[in-house]
Amino acid sequence: MNVEQRKQALRFLFGPIVDKLGYKFTPVEEDAEFLLEQEVLLEAETGMPYCPCQARGKDRAENMKIVCPCIPFHRRHYDAMKRCWCGLFVHKDVTDPDKLVQFPESAIKEG
Amino acid sequence: MKKVKVYALSTCLWCKKTKRYFEEKKIPFEAVDYDKQDDDCQQKIMEEIKANGGTGSFPFVKIGNSCTQGYNPGEFEKLLEKK
Repeated sequence: MNVEQRKQALRFLFGPIVDKLGYKFTPVEEDAEFLLEQEVLLEAETGMPYCPCQARGKDRAENMKIVCPCIPFHRRHYDAMKRCWCGLFVHKDVTDPDKLVQFPESAIKEG
Repeated sequence: MKKVKVYALSTCLWCKKTKRYFEEKKIPFEAVDYDKQDDDCQQKIMEEIKANGGTGSFPFVKIGNSCTQGYNPGEFEKLLEKK
């Protein structure tokens, strides 16, 4: 497997999907490259480009909810943060992702 | 000084940033990469995380008797200062 080629393929695959959801790749290129590389390695190991910042369990249906791009399964949470959990994608209006805060879903339920 | 424990994934960018935060602040911490543990250990860690209100999203950070999920320096500082 050529990691660089697969990273480019994932960019090509994910771009139009997240665009329709109102997201874009993080403009922090170093972060995007690192996260895509982790996804390529996870895909090579497991068959799926799982989120590199969420743990897989034994429930396949639950694991499917963290296959990238996992935005539709966590819409309310990610919209509240203006980014997905791993930060590969941010809302289209975000110009400085470093200003965004990562917080658990329970934080929005609590208001 | 409060005991700090960072549960992380070796693949997680924000876990690396969390570890770097405590290193740069020269705050001693224990780090455990969840994905590098065996099944039994992973189960125990996940039970502990869930018992403290967490989920399978990393990093999960214990500071003293408090816990927080995600890379959030403001929250880390708040918990470090909390009496």
